[in-house]
Amino acid sequence: MNYFAQSFTDAIQLILKLDYELFFVVWISLKISLLSVMIASVLSVPLGLLIASSKFRGKVILQNILNTLMALPTVVVGLLVFGLLSRQGPLGEWGLLYTQAAIVMGQSILIIPIVLNMVISAANTADPRIRLTSIALGADRFQQNLIFINEVRFAVLAAIVAAFGRAIGEVGVAMMLGGNIEGYTRTMTTAIALETSKGEFEFALALGVLLLLAAFAVNVFLEKFQKLNK
Amino acid sequence: MTTTAYEIDHLSFKYHDKDVVDIDHYQIIAGETLALVGPNGSGKSTLLNLLSFLSAPAAGEVRFFGESVRPNTQSGFRRRVGYLQQHPYLFNTTVIENIELGLKLRKVNRELRHARAQNIIEQLNLGMLANKRAHELSGGEIQKVALARALVLEPEVLIFDEPFTYLDKSFSGELEKLLVSIHENRTQTIIFSSHDHLRAQVIADRVCCIHHGKLTEELHVNLLHGKYSRALGIFHTGNIDIKISEAPDDVDIVAIEPTQIVLSRTELDSSMRNRFRGEVIALHARNDHIEVTVQTGEVFQVIITRSALDDLAVTIGSPVWVSFKSSAIRILR
Repeated sequence: MNYFAQSFTDAIQLILKLDYELFFVVWISLKISLLSVMIASVLSVPLGLLIASSKFRGKVILQNILNTLMALPTVVVGLLVFGLLSRQGPLGEWGLLYTQAAIVMGQSILIIPIVLNMVISAANTADPRIRLTSIALGADRFQQNLIFINEVRFAVLAAIVAAFGRAIGEVGVAMMLGGNIEGYTRTMTTAIALETSKGEFEFALALGVLLLLAAFAVNVFLEKFQKLNK
Repeated sequence: MTTTAYEIDHLSFKYHDKDVVDIDHYQIIAGETLALVGPNGSGKSTLLNLLSFLSAPAAGEVRFFGESVRPNTQSGFRRRVGYLQQHPYLFNTTVIENIELGLKLRKVNRELRHARAQNIIEQLNLGMLANKRAHELSGGEIQKVALARALVLEPEVLIFDEPFTYLDKSFSGELEKLLVSIHENRTQTIIFSSHDHLRAQVIADRVCCIHHGKLTEELHVNLLHGKYSRALGIFHTGNIDIKISEAPDDVDIVAIEPTQIVLSRTELDSSMRNRFRGEVIALHARNDHIEVTVQTGEVFQVIITRSALDDLAVTIGSPVWVSFKSSAIRILR
């Protein structure tokens, strides 16, 4: 117990000292995850609205597949993208393996089903009068979509927040595609795994605390945003 | 010279291969207030959607102020019509933002937008609500804000789908006055649907009935759905049996002329074959006559004079007899 308490105190001290190495890892993690979330959102929000508003064969199957993909194991994504990016893989020429871009790619693939699925279900359960009212007020197609997104903004934001939580907390993709290179592809989660195995428990613990704080901050932001708009 | 707002030719709209609207020819004059009266499922809302250019007809043509409206051009015409849904939806913003939205979509600049919104807010007495958020409003307030949102666009035509149906009595009266005043102070064409033909008559210049998607200028109240048995000469509504001497076998709806129904305190010994005992459930004074609503198993609206009401001395709850001749029954097809 003493060991844990001591490590925890040391961890807090590291945080309070604004330890450069510690916060650099945090910065890389945030950068990669935010970028992944941005890419996934830009692709999935419009695509989700399109899927929700169109009728086509296989829509139910698509939604079932997306539901399944929400629980996609991170190592499986890591494995697949590794296969694509490795030297013998079809995208091997790009030389992306063990770069931040590779992690962004993997994390985007990991969270696209989350955003897509949550946006589709938000759009499906939205009030049908939203679209009719915007059309009646003279909105063109683009304006109708903007109004619609604005009306379901809480659900869209919740999807983005959930995706961010998944991206920043995952370890499989970052480890397999980033390679845990110090100062470059070392993220909070891969650093936690490494430092723990090295016996640097307080460093790992400090990162764990910061990881939780990041998740907490995002949720506080979401709640404030909802309150502000009510 | 009168201008025609809408000219409709061979207009039809199908739903599951069934004609929901089927109109040969109809004209709506610019500046008039037209009430569209019909029972639920008669095609009122569908027709209003077509006139608002929210949906495209299966066949036929609509000319709007002389211009032919095609499915590919109807979005342009849509901006010239203000449409108020039966259950309006307010966007999850403030009242003022809701009112200004249509103007914003039309790229009206901020100052003008604000000035026009303020003007309508004053007219409809919405000052207290302007900065409230939509979800804080009551049903009547939502209706009023939605009305303001439609009026602020100053469309050439205003279309209201059942504006009175789900409102409490006090606001419903207020809205009635508002519609009359819009009509008096503006040059807009107003089209509204209602299932209450008496109210429609009070407000509108012209009342048009819609039945199975077809329009007729004849008024129909006391619409009763049921089945006709030729052998018995009886129309069964499920609640009462109406004696009809001659009617086609497939009649499923009849209307009883409200001015030809006789009210009495005791059963009349007369040639009128249809006599039903009931109870007065509502009394409304309309201009020079009284509308008495009687529950007999089916609800009848009866129009009588004020002196006839004085002679009858009935109030709400009084037992009465409703009697009418076969000639008061109109068979609808």
